[in-house]
This record gives sequence, C-alpha cells and structure tokens, in this order.
Amino acid sequence: MSGLRVQDVTVTRGAGPVIRDVAFTLEPGRITALVGPNGAGKTSLLESISGVVPAASGSVSIDGTDITKQSRVARAKLGLAHIEQGRAVFPGLTVVENLKLTARTWPRVEEVLALFPELEKRRNSPTALLSGGEQQMVVLARAFAARPRYLLIDEMSLGLAPVVFTRLLPMVTRFAEEGAAILLVEQFTHLALGVSQDALVVSSGRVTFQGTAKELLDAPETLHSAYLGE
Amino acid sequence: MLQGALAGLAAGGLYAVLAVCLTLMSRLVRVVNFSQSATGMFGCYVAVWLSIHVGLPTWAATVVGIVLGTALSALLGWIISTWLAEADIGTRSAVTVAVLLLLISLSFILFGNKPQPFHPVLDGPAFTVGGVVVSQVTVVTVVLSVLIAVGCRTLLTKTSFGLELRALSERPTTAELLAIPAKPLAVAVWAVTGLLSTLVISIVAPSQSNDATSLAMLVVPASAAALLGGFRRLDLAVIGGLVLGMAQGAVAQVDSLSVVRYFLPFLVIVGLLLWSQRKEVWDVAR
Ligand SMILES: Nc1ncnc2c1ncn2[C@@H]1O[C@H](COP(=O)(O)OP(=O)(O)OP(=O)(O)O)[C@@H](O)[C@H]1O
Ligand SMILES: [Mg+2]
Repeated sequence: MSGLRVQDVTVTRGAGPVIRDVAFTLEPGRITALVGPNGAGKTSLLESISGVVPAASGSVSIDGTDITKQSRVARAKLGLAHIEQGRAVFPGLTVVENLKLTARTWPRVEEVLALFPELEKRRNSPTALLSGGEQQMVVLARAFAARPRYLLIDEMSLGLAPVVFTRLLPMVTRFAEEGAAILLVEQFTHLALGVSQDALVVSSGRVTFQGTAKELLDAPETLHSAYLGE
Repeated sequence: MLQGALAGLAAGGLYAVLAVCLTLMSRLVRVVNFSQSATGMFGCYVAVWLSIHVGLPTWAATVVGIVLGTALSALLGWIISTWLAEADIGTRSAVTVAVLLLLISLSFILFGNKPQPFHPVLDGPAFTVGGVVVSQVTVVTVVLSVLIAVGCRTLLTKTSFGLELRALSERPTTAELLAIPAKPLAVAVWAVTGLLSTLVISIVAPSQSNDATSLAMLVVPASAAALLGGFRRLDLAVIGGLVLGMAQGAVAQVDSLSVVRYFLPFLVIVGLLLWSQRKEVWDVAR
C-alpha cells in the first residue's frame, strides 16, 4: 500500500474548524496541485499532515502506516518532508550547513549543490545574507537532499519574481520523476497546474474540486467560483 | 591588590564555567536557568552527606554528587521540554526560579542551614608569583573554564551534533520537520550543563562560602558574566567571569571597599543593562 493517504481530516484552530473532512491520496511520481483562496486552510492542511498541528479527527497514513499520532520527527523519518510557507532557512547557518542537516553525507551535499549553480557560488555564506530567491533554493535543495518520498511544498513562489519561480518548478518536476509524491500549494495557479498531474481545490476548509490538473485547467469556472467563495 | 585579584581568580573560574553554562542554555534551549548553580549545590551537598554519613571516599562521593547534579538538571530539562515545549523563554525561565527556591528549601530541610564540612577535592598551592601563592584549585578552575568554552565552541561549529543544536535553536519546528530530535538534544544540553556546574562547584566550594544560599546564588555573578557576552558569546562569558572574580578579590583587600564586593555582580548587571539600553536608544534615535 504505497502512498500518502489523508482520510476525513479535520483541523481546528482558534475558534473552529479550518479544515473539514478532507480526503485524498498522494501517489509516488505524481504532483498534486493544491489551490484555493487565502485563508482556505491550505497551510493548516499541510501542517496536519506533517504534524505541526494535530488533526482534530480523521487520519493520515504513509504506505499503510498510520502516522496521525506520531511525532514530527517520526513522520520525517518515514520519508515525509514539509517545506513551510515563508523562507524556512536557518539564517545563522551557511548554505552548506543547511544542506548538511538533511544530506548526512558530503557526496550528497555536492550532488544537490550541483543542481543549483547559484548556491554553489555562495556555499559558505550565512543564508541570512542570501536573496529571497536564493533562500528558497536553499530550502528546496535541503528538502531534496533528504530524498523524501513525500514532499509537501507550501507557496514556494511567495515573494519571488515569476522568473525565479519558473526556474525552480522544473526542479520539482524532476524530483517527482525520480519517484517522489508531491503536494504543491501555489498562488500561481496556472503555473502549478501546468506541472501537476492531479489537482485539489479547497475553499473555506472543504475540498470543492478533486480531479486531474487538465480537467481543472479546462474548467476555469470551477477555479473562479472557489476563489469567489461560492 | 594583586594578591587579592589572584585570590579571587578561583571564584572567577567558577563564575566563568557557570556563565558558559548559562550562555549555552539560553542559546540552545531557550531558558535562563536560574537553578544552574542550585542543582550543582544540591549534588555537592549530597556528596558531602554521603562521605560523612555513609563513609564513601571523597572522590566516590563527589562522583555520585556530580551524577546527581547531572540527573537533576536532565530531569528538569525533560519536564520543561515535555510540557513547555512551545512556551516562551520567560515562562520556561520562571520554572527554574521555582526550582531554585525548592532546592534551597530542600537543602535546609535535609542538611540544615549551616555551611557543610566539605572535604577539598584539590588542596595546596600550585605555584608562587611575586610572592603570591596560587592554589591548585585556582589553576584547575581557570584552565577548566577556558577548556570548556573552547570545547563547546568546537562542538557547536565542527560536529554534526553541534550543527543540529544550532539549527534547533534557530527554528525548532523546522528542525523537527527535518527529523532533528528536539527533545533528546535539549535534555542532553541540560544534562551536560548540569554536569559541568556540579563538577566546578565541587572543586571550588570547599574553599568558598559554601552555605546553600551562597552556592545557589552563584547564578547572580554568573549571569553578570554571561551578560557581558550577551548570553551568546562564550569567550566574553569566560572573560567576564574571570575579571569579575578578580575584581571582587581585589576590592576585598581594601578595608573601606570590602563590602562592595558583594554588590559588584549587581553593579555589573545594572551597568551592562544600562549600557545595552543606551545603545538601543541611540539606534532608535538614528
Ligand atoms: N495559528 C493560528 N491560530 C488561529 N487561527 C489560525 C492560525 N493559523 C491560521 N489560522 C486560521 O486558519 C484559517 C486557515 O489558514 P491557513 O493559513 O491554513 O490558510 P491558507 O489557505 O494557507 O492561506 P494563505 O493562502 O493565505 O497562506 C484562516 O482563517 C486563519 O485565520
Ligand atoms: Mg498558507
């Protein structure tokens, strides 16, 4: 039973539920775009999968193992990686040190750096001194270095110029081709759907569309209504 | 004056080691540990009790005391990282104030309120400079404080264990998402600082005021020293500890100033705080 399975997950924050009975499965080698308006609950959903926040009900499993009650560390050890919203670099650590945290071996650090020539040049700079785009590359490279089988990416594009973002997207595709299952949360809906096979639309905490990325691209009104909150 | 300053150096080494521990704790596990010296004091008191009432040899009793100080600190670390994992540094530190008071009262109840008949672990002079005798205790504590600071720095910058600790101190949640085990690492930091404080207190306590309150309150001069390094820099924490100890020793020599030495740590803390505020006001003004 390979795959990351989310079953009827509800997440409660502050006043009430921000995610209600959400269910879907991520399969190896496939990218799933998760789109929806601000405040729809995308980040909360990702956080409940990786264990940043607990799920109030429902369950999450990886390859048949129920991880709903497991710690963040245990989930990461099962091959789950979560790229958080914002620039989740360790600012005081150098680029190489950031990578070393997940790469474990030097050859792996070099292998990952080779994918990002911009970072290779600044390998010994503290990440605090890098540009926003470079910092996001560090985060992406750091996630790849661990060779996760399941990767949750929360708004990689935030604050980046579209050119930089379109430069990073092929990396994600390539990683999926190597067999990872990816959940891609994006504001640049069309760019995200362009590289994805599957799509999920959430609005006010509920899934309002579930299907292939192509179906969603062919039915723009589905997307519009989600964003307009209908 | 020189004689006084050299006499104060042993206390200075003690402050320096405790200041290094306080700095590590604040940087790596987000806590200002007010019970830093109290756990050490308690371990040492149990050691004294074991050697007098159970008849353990001094070295064996000292080892047991150090193990106890380490375990107490680790236990406190475990409690704080289990139930106050997401709490802010103020709340976490407040718990250690409670532990400080608890350990002082507990030692009054168990051992009475008189200074303990410590058996020195180290005894006798090491060498003489300009007619002033420098004790073995002084040499060992000063060397120990420098070695510990250098060792910790090396550990933090050169090992993968240190790298994980630094990552954890910068972004705990992100670190956990990368499979870095926050709790075991935090408990390890608590245990190591507990061990170091108990070790250095057991070396210096026999030759200092060693009632429970004095030993537990060593955290005050240690904080003054740690503050010099902004609770971040280990080198400045060591320098701060040594200089403070020497200054206290020097003023103790001058009759008209001798009471000042008890206020010196407070004066340093107030002075450093005002100094840092002045800088902030200055920055804002610009
Ligand atoms: N820490 C929190 N405490 C209480 N409520 C929160 C918290 N974080 C988010 N929320 C609420 O949960 C809801 C969903 O937020 P979430 O961040 O998951 O949405 P999102 O889809 O990721 O939005 P965005 O596109 O802006 O990133 C929002 O109504 C938000 O106000
Ligand atoms: Mg979000």
